[in-house]
Amino acid sequence: MRAKVDLGAIAYFGCNGAILFFLLAPIAIVSVFAVNPTPYISFPPVGFTFAWFAKFFANPDFINALWLSLKVATAVLVLSMLIGATAALALVRGNLPGARLATALFMSPLMLPAILTGLALFQIYLLVGIGRPIWGLVMGHTVVAVPYVIRTTLAVLHNFDRRLEEAAAALGADPVRVFLEVTLPLIRPGVIAGGIFAFIVSFDQFPVSLFLVVPKGETLPVVLFNYMKFDLDGAIAAASMVSIALALTVVILLEWMIGLRAYLKL
Amino acid sequence: MASNTAERVSPVSAQTRRVRKPTAVGWLIWPALLLFALFFVLPLGVLSVMAFLSGNPVNAPVHLTLRHFQRFFADDLYPEALWATLRIGFLTTLAALLLGYPLAHLMARAHSRIAHALLLMAVIAPMLTGIVVRTFAWMTLLQDRGVINTTLVALGVTDKPLKLMYNEFGTIVALTHIYVPFMVLTLAGVIGRVDERLEDAARSLGATRWQAFREVTLPLSLPGILAGSLLVFALSISAYVTPFLMGGTDVLTLPMLIYQQVSSSFNPNFAGALGLILLAVSLTLVIAYNKVLAGLAGEEVS
Repeated sequence: MRAKVDLGAIAYFGCNGAILFFLLAPIAIVSVFAVNPTPYISFPPVGFTFAWFAKFFANPDFINALWLSLKVATAVLVLSMLIGATAALALVRGNLPGARLATALFMSPLMLPAILTGLALFQIYLLVGIGRPIWGLVMGHTVVAVPYVIRTTLAVLHNFDRRLEEAAAALGADPVRVFLEVTLPLIRPGVIAGGIFAFIVSFDQFPVSLFLVVPKGETLPVVLFNYMKFDLDGAIAAASMVSIALALTVVILLEWMIGLRAYLKL
Repeated sequence: MASNTAERVSPVSAQTRRVRKPTAVGWLIWPALLLFALFFVLPLGVLSVMAFLSGNPVNAPVHLTLRHFQRFFADDLYPEALWATLRIGFLTTLAALLLGYPLAHLMARAHSRIAHALLLMAVIAPMLTGIVVRTFAWMTLLQDRGVINTTLVALGVTDKPLKLMYNEFGTIVALTHIYVPFMVLTLAGVIGRVDERLEDAARSLGATRWQAFREVTLPLSLPGILAGSLLVFALSISAYVTPFLMGGTDVLTLPMLIYQQVSSSFNPNFAGALGLILLAVSLTLVIAYNKVLAGLAGEEVS
């Protein structure tokens, strides 16, 4: 009996160990190619070089794309936090007729294949004749990013103790002050968590960007993809490391600011 | 009649009416509504209309036509691409579920805060790494000169590199890796809400650990399985980068055809029709999913 239980536990943890290896090993291997000096991808590594990083940072296509991606993602972060937080407040506190329907609408970009959102925006920009401006790209990203902010803010609002606001009001605070000093600090973790998610969604956005970028004005994922169609060398690995470093910074910021645990409740 | 009753007990009715009436906060819905109207609902409407038009209505007079849909069914290429898209989506979802469930279970049942945080990091880190980067990682692993083939040849397991990519297999492996975190995060929340004491109760009544899991936790986590599967399926049928780079010439999916129509054939109308077909497929799935979920919820109540 005892041996049997242990066997089950070994299988359980062994299985999970293998799955974790499957998840993390491919990412770890990229770092090997980022510093391996061969001009093509080869294994095992034969040396150590920073040349690929130098190539990445010396290539204006990569750097311009990195800047554009960061700028777009920052704009998306701000826009989706503003739009998402106000929408979540209205949905929970506004007593709106059709609030459920509106929630379903606001969540639908998560379920709809993103390539359709990109195609649809491409078509309407084409028909209206505005071409493919950067603000159009930002709006496209915002539509697919804002559901995350709405979702995280809604989660916080649903666990919200309204007596805190009532207490503040009873103590003489006017509604604006109640909002600024009680409501806002309490929903802030949800808004920030959603905003960081929105940033990542935008920074890593491919299907929407694919249709909305112009040549020489492409975001980093699109530039990397186009490069990989013809070349598969360490420059991509170096670019990957730069992306991973940015992503890890975000994860650590996230854990530091609000704790990752909040994500499981979404 | 309702209003009569309401008038008679006026203080109560005033209160209920105040609850029903939109408050000033309700106005805050407008930025989001505008964003979605202009950049989501309207474009998708335009896409649907374009699919039935003969050309670009701005450039020249157009008429309604079904020819884009006829073209879809007239050439085997397109239904086959749809079928390949669905097949890849289905197999990716299945693989992501098989790999995601044990991990989600471990995460939901981890009692120590540190173990939980580390697991969550391990799941979220790949998610933050980006789709293009992760596809690159799999290319370095699976190509002929890649890590796996080099190792296999060096060990003498095989004398010729195995064809691990530029086919559906490689596409599905990479897509699974990319979408497992979505599955894990969806499932972990649901499994976490299943009361562990139910399993303990089943065990104390003589069930083995496996029986207790199969009869208690697994059925109760079914909504999570459905939600996660639907999410992964929706994501994988709209994947573009991974099938393109991992599939090579062997794999042709609907998103690849859609982009090709826009970028090289410049036929946005036909692209719209292809998009509409993809939309119809995913909508059917969402509706079927909701039906199944409602059915399950009903079963639980009864």
